[in-house]
Amino acid sequence: MTGSNEYKLNQGPEDSISAVKFSPSTTQFLLVSSWDCTVRLFDVVTNTMRMKYQHSAPVLDCAFYDPTHSWSGGLDAQLKTHDLNTDQDTIVGTHDAPIRCVEYCPEVNVMVTGSWDRSVRLWDPRTPCNAGTFTQPEKVYTLSVAGDRLIVGTAGRRVLVWDLRNMGYVQQRRESSLKYQTRCIRAFPNKQGYVLSSIEGRVAVEYLDPSQEVQKKKYAFKCHRLKEEGIENVYPVNAISFHSVHNTFATGGSDGFVNIWDPFNKKRLCQFHRYPTSIASLAFNNDGTMLAIASSYMHEKGDISHPEDAIFIRQVTDAETKPKST
Amino acid sequence: MAEGGDVEWELSKENIQPLRRGRAISALHQALSQQQDGVSSAINQQRQAFESEVRMYEGDDPLDVWDRYIKWTEQTFPQGGKESNLGTLLERVVTRFTDEKKYHNDPRYVDLWIKFAENCPEPLDIYRYMQAQGIGVTQASLYIAWSEEYENQGNCRKADLVYQEGFKKCAEPHDKLQQFHKALQARVSRQVMMNVEEDDSDNEPKQPERVSLADLKHRGKKKAIAPVNRTGHAIRSISGGLLSHGPSVLGNASNSRLVIFDENKTESAGPSEPKLESWVAPPTSKAKENEQRPERWCDVKLPQKSKYGRTVMAPPPPKPTFQPFVEETDQPPTMTPCKINPAVNTVLSSRKPCREETPLKRLQEHHQQQKEAESGKLQEQSMYCKELLLSGATEFCFEEVRAERYFKKMAQESKEVRGQKDEASASTSN
Repeated sequence: MTGSNEYKLNQGPEDSISAVKFSPSTTQFLLVSSWDCTVRLFDVVTNTMRMKYQHSAPVLDCAFYDPTHSWSGGLDAQLKTHDLNTDQDTIVGTHDAPIRCVEYCPEVNVMVTGSWDRSVRLWDPRTPCNAGTFTQPEKVYTLSVAGDRLIVGTAGRRVLVWDLRNMGYVQQRRESSLKYQTRCIRAFPNKQGYVLSSIEGRVAVEYLDPSQEVQKKKYAFKCHRLKEEGIENVYPVNAISFHSVHNTFATGGSDGFVNIWDPFNKKRLCQFHRYPTSIASLAFNNDGTMLAIASSYMHEKGDISHPEDAIFIRQVTDAETKPKST
Repeated sequence: MAEGGDVEWELSKENIQPLRRGRAISALHQALSQQQDGVSSAINQQRQAFESEVRMYEGDDPLDVWDRYIKWTEQTFPQGGKESNLGTLLERVVTRFTDEKKYHNDPRYVDLWIKFAENCPEPLDIYRYMQAQGIGVTQASLYIAWSEEYENQGNCRKADLVYQEGFKKCAEPHDKLQQFHKALQARVSRQVMMNVEEDDSDNEPKQPERVSLADLKHRGKKKAIAPVNRTGHAIRSISGGLLSHGPSVLGNASNSRLVIFDENKTESAGPSEPKLESWVAPPTSKAKENEQRPERWCDVKLPQKSKYGRTVMAPPPPKPTFQPFVEETDQPPTMTPCKINPAVNTVLSSRKPCREETPLKRLQEHHQQQKEAESGKLQEQSMYCKELLLSGATEFCFEEVRAERYFKKMAQESKEVRGQKDEASASTSN
């Protein structure tokens, strides 16, 4: 089923995959966090696992701070940093509830974590230590960094925009323009807006500038729906990843499909073949030549038997990711 | 400690909503002392625990969890309000079990329905709906609550009919129903008696009483001097005066120019419908402020056309010859921790406010949808367990549901391990 431009990673996690993240500076290193309580580092060029470290509970997210340090958190509510050269663990701090998201903001040089304890915490990666706790109105489900701004998506369909240089107050409080639970938010690499996906087959493109003209440009569209015998099956859209060069993005849904979208012309650029099960996470590498696709059942329909979890690395071409100039 | 709690309670009495079954004073103290700093994380944790229990429950009495959750909510949020989510919770629980016949006459379920109805703008509709669905029809509490609602609205006849209906359905417990019915009858009869008494008193000959705004007979020949004694015969005539007494008011409405409001009379009339006032002239709008009164126009100068055809305006006031003093430091602060301009804010919440819908309507819609789903008419199907994510008052995501399962499994395993260890230690000690 895999063609010449795509292969499956060896020695993948033994349980569901929660996140895949590419290294910020090199094209070949991929971090993978999993429900099997591990974080793994892969060299995707040689297709080998370079390293693996453990948490005491399933890991929900991970992120690179720099090419040699990974940060991760999960159900044990502990935030860990791991030196990938020396293979050494440090527990940086804890949340009061499981940590759902971990991100790095290079502009302000700060790590950001979001948790179900209704807070976002900032961490100074150099010391490393806590640099502030900021209460959110609801449990944090997803977050993304756009330049020095932080976009937080919580339960109750709320979206909060914070200024990481001045966390004294919330810059914008928004409501998701989608009707159902927020699944994922990712910021445009050009920092002007973000894309939000919901649990019921819909994706919204939003802009940060609150002025009326800019807000007029925002829109939402349906996707990841399959029609079977006259009934439309609506799948959650779990993953979004932006192409750093072209500002196009890929979405992955529980239908097992990956689509690439051109947000400027409002067009779908391509759709890949159907993967064995739900797409749990997606990541473009830093130059946008590869896409890591985590196909892993997320227990959307309960604890039932499901296809094996797997990570696929796909070479993508400009034809698949570049907006068509009209 | 107890003293501190008492003070707390004294200070925030007005923030405590009354509860039918009363409140545990310890829970109240705790809730009030925690309120100073918003919803504490302890409360959030408890709530989260309930939320996950609601989803993960595997026994044969799922209502029990809901019942405990709602009781906990009532005790923990004495001031009610949106934060407590009580309204949502009640709606969820009643909708959730509408199809479970075994709960339809469960006293706990019926109580939850009644609480739900009391939270609704139109409780009577809910009670009727319950009756139509056969929920609580053999429970005395339904009829009691229903009847009380009618009584509150002043419809004692309907209130009584509700009890009759209850007796017909042999609602249990019978004693309670009878007791409340008797109490209702007693109240109604007392009211009737009181009304009769009042009517009687109206007909009794009265003590001479001064009447406001009545015309008096004058004494003296040239100047009209009001008499010292201003009751009884000194009043010229009741019907001819400004004020007429009692029912004669309406009869003489055409004669009198004004009907004077008498606060003493309204008591006997009771909270009846507002009567039509017989105003001869519309009331002057004295309540309005800043309204320009009509005035003469002859002194007012209108802008005149000059011979060049342009309007000549009054010359603008000359600029002041002095420089107004402006303090140097008087500049707005560069960064204010302020809210976003509301005009801008509306742009960000694009979703239109959803149409007005009553909880009852939602209930019926839910019912309708379920029927459609059964008959396979549904156009869309969500490919995930909606129930699990949305069954409580707050939503869960897939990962949370799975995390709950994981924690449960871990707890069980550790218990088993401990059990094995105990066994091992027991065997070694033996």
